[in-house]
Amino acid sequence: MRRRWPATVVRTAVQRVLAERGGLVVTLVFYVLVASVLSSLWRLSAAANGGSVAGYGAAALTWYVATTEACTVSLNIRLIADIGRDIGSGALAVELLRPVSVLGVRVAAELGRVLPRLALCLATGAVLASLVGGAPPRPAALVWVLPSALVAVTANVVAQHAFAGAAFWLRDAGSAWFLYSKFTFVLGGMLIPLQVLPGWLHGVASALPFSAMAYAPGRFASGHIEPWLLVQQLGWLAALTVGASAVFAAGERRLQVVGG
Amino acid sequence: MRALLATIRNAFAEVLANPRSLIAQMTVMIVNDVAWVLFWLLFFHRVGAIRGWRSDDVLLLFAIITSSAGITLGVFANARAVGPLAAGGELDAVLALPVHPLAVLLVRRVEAVHLGDLAFGLVLFAVAGSPTPARIAVFVGTVLASAVLLTGFIVLIGSSAFLVGRSEAGELGFNAVIMLGSYPVDVFAGAIKVTLYTVVPAAFVSSVPARLVQHFQPGWALALVGAAVGFAGAGALAFTRGLRRYTSGAVWIQA
Repeated sequence: MRRRWPATVVRTAVQRVLAERGGLVVTLVFYVLVASVLSSLWRLSAAANGGSVAGYGAAALTWYVATTEACTVSLNIRLIADIGRDIGSGALAVELLRPVSVLGVRVAAELGRVLPRLALCLATGAVLASLVGGAPPRPAALVWVLPSALVAVTANVVAQHAFAGAAFWLRDAGSAWFLYSKFTFVLGGMLIPLQVLPGWLHGVASALPFSAMAYAPGRFASGHIEPWLLVQQLGWLAALTVGASAVFAAGERRLQVVGG
Repeated sequence: MRALLATIRNAFAEVLANPRSLIAQMTVMIVNDVAWVLFWLLFFHRVGAIRGWRSDDVLLLFAIITSSAGITLGVFANARAVGPLAAGGELDAVLALPVHPLAVLLVRRVEAVHLGDLAFGLVLFAVAGSPTPARIAVFVGTVLASAVLLTGFIVLIGSSAFLVGRSEAGELGFNAVIMLGSYPVDVFAGAIKVTLYTVVPAAFVSSVPARLVQHFQPGWALALVGAAVGFAGAGALAFTRGLRRYTSGAVWIQA
């Protein structure tokens, strides 16, 4: 039983999300709205610039945006605030009673919530992109999208836990999620392909973990087969997991000393 | 009226009681807004103009939507909470007061973080909006109209919770109008563009005010005022009618 707990936690969370169909519909409608607006903006940009922007044609930009949005909209955008509140209020202290990792259970539960939404958004995004942008620029590249998207959302969930862990010391992660989300939006390539950024900023963004959370799957979906991106994502996931584990381990020790 | 003014004073006093937190939260939102400005600058740097919208037009649009959203979500913070409060039966506390429940609900809570939006919008207009006395007057007028419209719309869709017992639709409508209003309306075409002038009035929240500041046209000004009055009235009516179906959750302190 002990060894199977991650699968059990994920499965339970998936079942909860599937049972709450209203929430799924809201996520889907919001996703279609955002993806439509952004893809429309980028297609207009391509049309106004001789058919492409930074090497991305209209169809590539549409598939890029449909994928990066799916990887972002499927997440709970306020996860950092929620974790911070649980830490600050002491609610997390109860979870220390379980004989398994607090961080592990939280990440597994969040992934269980994300996976059905991600699947729904990616499937809808593929239909939407085909309808408004045309066929995928390079269908073979789509094989890479699913593993890349899975690593992207996992890295994002783990990074948010690492970020929210500051609440162990500050007692509140407050509005930090605003800042975190903007890092993902701009430097992570959710709104804008990294190649569109000026050279120096492109370099900075490529060196940060946020590019593993949106840009990489978007790049694959836009027809670029660059397997090293997936390797880079896995590297960031490992580094973020180590970081989040260290933050939670130190935080839990502090929580046990100070009390919840 | 005196009761409402006292409630507003209390709401602001509560926020001002912790100035360090107020400044921290406002700063976070300002940095958040700067990220959006950065996005638009990078976008237009690469793309140039889109359907007549250049970077200065979009910065003006952004100054308007952050200012009006700052008023609605900062000063009338409970506008966004109408849906969850109605669905959760948490309005009891405002029903027992000798003033209109919606009025007191709207002014009862100030959200510090969104005051950052308001401050940012005003500064952005001062820096990038080429302020002249005439433009300042139009900016102030259109921001107020936009805020009234936005508040009315959010209350209207939030009040759907009285009927369906859930608040997701209200939250979705809120996110939709803010998100769609963050882009120039001319990015859209056909039925979507019509929707933005009618069902989800995002065009009147940002694009129309931005156009009025750039090139004032009495016809569009009247349309904006009409939309603001219409949505404010519809929001108030929906809330008042919705109260007839309200079921208490025996929660006294939430509102």
